[in-house]
Amino acid sequence: MRTNILKRALLAASAAAALYLALVVYEVRANETAHAAAAESFFGAKNTQGHTNNWAVLVCASRYWFNYRHMANALGMYRTVKRLGIPDSNIILMLADDAACNPRNKFPGTVFSNAGRHLDLYGDNIEVDYRGFEVTVPNFIRLLTGRVEPNVPRSKRLLTDDRSNIFVYMTGHGGNEFLKFQDNEEISAFDIADAFEQMWQKKRYNEIFFMIDTCQANTMYSKFYSPNILATGSSELGESSYSHENDNEVGVAIIDSYTHYVLEYLETVNKTSRTTMSDFFNHYDPVPIKSHPGVRADLFPRPVHETLVTDFFGGVAQVELIDDDSEPARGTPISISIPINTNTNTNVPIQNEEPRSARAEVRDSSPASARRVQSNVKVKSAGVGVGGVGSSVGSGNARDGLSGEMRTWIGTFSVLVLGAWVARPRGGNKKAVR
Amino acid sequence: MVAVEWCFRLTSVALLHGLLRAASAAPVLEEEFYENLKLTPLPDGRLLTRFDFKTLLRDAAPRAPHTLAEEDEPQHYNLFPLALGQLLREHAVTELHLTLNAGQWNYAAWGQPEDSGVATGAELWAWMGESRAISVKDRWKGITNGLAGLFCATLGGLDVRRTVSPSVAFQPEGDIPSSTPHHLLYAPLPSESVCTENLTPFLKLLPCKSRSGVASLLNPHRLFDADWHGMGVHVTWEEGLGVMVRMNFVAVYNPTRLMGLQNKRDWSFRLLFDRSITRACPVATRSAIHVALPSEGNFRLEPTAHSNLGNIAIFDVSKVQEPLELSMKWPDESEFDHTSFAPSLSPPLTVRRVLTGAGQSQGALAVSLSNTNTETMRVAWVETMPWFIKFYLHTLEATIKGERRNDLVKLVTYAPTSSSSQAPTLLESHVTIPGNTTLRLTIDLEKSFISYTQHPPAAQRGWDLPGGIIAFTSHSSHRGEKEKELREQRIYTPILLVDLPTPDFSMPYNVIIMTSTLVTLLFGTIFNMLTRKFVWIKLHE
Repeated sequence: MRTNILKRALLAASAAAALYLALVVYEVRANETAHAAAAESFFGAKNTQGHTNNWAVLVCASRYWFNYRHMANALGMYRTVKRLGIPDSNIILMLADDAACNPRNKFPGTVFSNAGRHLDLYGDNIEVDYRGFEVTVPNFIRLLTGRVEPNVPRSKRLLTDDRSNIFVYMTGHGGNEFLKFQDNEEISAFDIADAFEQMWQKKRYNEIFFMIDTCQANTMYSKFYSPNILATGSSELGESSYSHENDNEVGVAIIDSYTHYVLEYLETVNKTSRTTMSDFFNHYDPVPIKSHPGVRADLFPRPVHETLVTDFFGGVAQVELIDDDSEPARGTPISISIPINTNTNTNVPIQNEEPRSARAEVRDSSPASARRVQSNVKVKSAGVGVGGVGSSVGSGNARDGLSGEMRTWIGTFSVLVLGAWVARPRGGNKKAVR
Repeated sequence: MVAVEWCFRLTSVALLHGLLRAASAAPVLEEEFYENLKLTPLPDGRLLTRFDFKTLLRDAAPRAPHTLAEEDEPQHYNLFPLALGQLLREHAVTELHLTLNAGQWNYAAWGQPEDSGVATGAELWAWMGESRAISVKDRWKGITNGLAGLFCATLGGLDVRRTVSPSVAFQPEGDIPSSTPHHLLYAPLPSESVCTENLTPFLKLLPCKSRSGVASLLNPHRLFDADWHGMGVHVTWEEGLGVMVRMNFVAVYNPTRLMGLQNKRDWSFRLLFDRSITRACPVATRSAIHVALPSEGNFRLEPTAHSNLGNIAIFDVSKVQEPLELSMKWPDESEFDHTSFAPSLSPPLTVRRVLTGAGQSQGALAVSLSNTNTETMRVAWVETMPWFIKFYLHTLEATIKGERRNDLVKLVTYAPTSSSSQAPTLLESHVTIPGNTTLRLTIDLEKSFISYTQHPPAAQRGWDLPGGIIAFTSHSSHRGEKEKELREQRIYTPILLVDLPTPDFSMPYNVIIMTSTLVTLLFGTIFNMLTRKFVWIKLHE
């Protein structure tokens, strides 16, 4: 009889345990799928195209004053990506020489990209991350692959993840499958291709847009083999890329032709533009550019005509408007995309990435405007991903409560049964021995 | 079950309470911010402008190095630059000085600068206490890289190949805690350029940025047009006062150049900075503009100063209601003639330093020190050279008018370089210069043949060598309080450019091609000879 009870208790306990386990597993599964779905719906939202943060790596690989135009090329891109919303903390700017404060520069602290000097690209708010002798091939590859020394500051690191869209722009003197750095060493097309592959393996990007302005530039992207890369270059194999114009006061050529027309087109793009990459590529005209720009899209899974220019050039954050009174979970979030603004006077305190310790843009924002924005709009970065998940958590609340209660009861019961079982057998066994 | 839950809740509440208490225990320190702009017309028609921003963290103390292994106490700053504060706490730095200058300070025309640190390029020196947790060297590496990131400068290059620990010429400006032994680390980087990207982070460390107060005049396009310009960040600790961050920007303008064809020394804020002060920085405890009035000449300063202190006109920026636009005019002067002004600021000591000798391997360094006073001067002479410059100490010679006077030089330190460690050479000595004489010091040196991978990208340009440092250790006519002031004065000589033998950088490729060809030829022949069998073949006829 005793053994009977014991058996029953054991059976009951194991049944309870199994039930409990099944419940837990089910719940975890359900949660996982719910979260995954929420995350998917959030990241896959129309405005973000699967990326939550934008980065830009802008490289001017040429040294010396007569290569002023290459500095201007990179700085023109810097101005554009900054204007379209990528904060300084997400821009890695590499300038191999100091053109702005060069003793030969008649206009100190400026770099111009057009004859007549209408627009100063250097401005009064610029952060050059790698400059002078720091712009080397090893440093560039280390930057891309993240293999930097532990002491390297955050401003010199590409802190991307698998949700990062990266715009890589390079300019300098090059040739068939190579680009010169500082007139001293070369980076080959294979080096960049391998670095990108390593980045892909280490989940350091979601998509890359690679642009290069140099002689025979299209050969530089010919060796890419990693997925999700869209590439464009200024000239074909055997073709030179020429400078666009000179400024007689500056005394040298001030911008390259290809970059000039690219920047001219990008000036028409603003943060909310729906212009696509195919619009952008269709704008290429070999006659004024004086070379044949190329595009490589075979590694890029999305249709180019559905890929927005701002997916790479802009830092676009997901912003949800929520009523003040309603609970965050219940209200249907209205998704609009608001570009991150880095201009000092209209700064919305959104951080696309975790704030950089040294030079976060947030510090630049005026607290008054920040508060004003936050009072009626809950602004959050797409990277946080709370808003999208919020709704699913809300709907899952009731189920959560019920199953939680059940789990508690079953847990309590099974613990009691197991306790009884452990306490019982000793006495029974002793008697059996007697 | 319920009891367990309550227990858990209570524990968590207790934990939270404890955490909150710990957080509130961190003292909220009083902070003060002072800003000052000083304009000094110089005898040669130039104008010295000096922006000074002081942030005082009252009663704060630098982090004790022995706590480096533990979690740091939470810090809360309102005005104190956070990014810099974090760096200082992280590496437990007691005193730190960073200067970034462009151009050579003209001691003869502009006199001794208020801050001695006017070395061309970048210069960084810091006092750090010993710690068992993290060595001073490792923290130096952290601080150089951290500052490189903070100020967009290539300070990351200030590694062991640049860093020395001089024992003379550098004295702490503040106090050093006596509880831990401190080390001074010093590194010059003469090739560093200064531009807008350095000023941008500088301005971001100020509580009012460049939006209001004196700092609103810091217009990069105008500042970098100045004949000489430089910025400095100085962190000091004074017992009983607190931690002070002094940030300054100094620019020597040439109004006669800016005025174009007029060639006058009149200046105004519009001319110098292309800006005016529209509003005061609200968090500044004191915000003032000082204009040093020239002792002679008929000049007009507009608007009228709020107060005068001796020959200094003082403007209180906080009282400003309408845009403040200072100007100074010399109405009687149709043209500035700098030859009519005697160089009244000529320093007691002038230094010249050149690299002599032809050829790419041997050379000599010659330093001539001229004492313009009648009294004997004792100075400290510090030379630090990168590892590829080797001094021959036995050739160190002091001469006065061709006569050998080696008794006037007393060697303090000589740390020779070694090509394996790539540590720089440090030569320190005390030099006595008799009154009204010129002492000439020469030392032979060897320029090493460095490996082709060690050359910088623009190798043909040569290497910038840091300037020599002459420090006033004492002055016979001054005693007591003044003596300390004089000790801190340093004179930097112009930097030098050394031409090292540069290899043909395409040589490795030639060598590879040549070697491969030779190997192919030799191996091919031998392989053929060994494996082939030469036999007679009878052809069927």
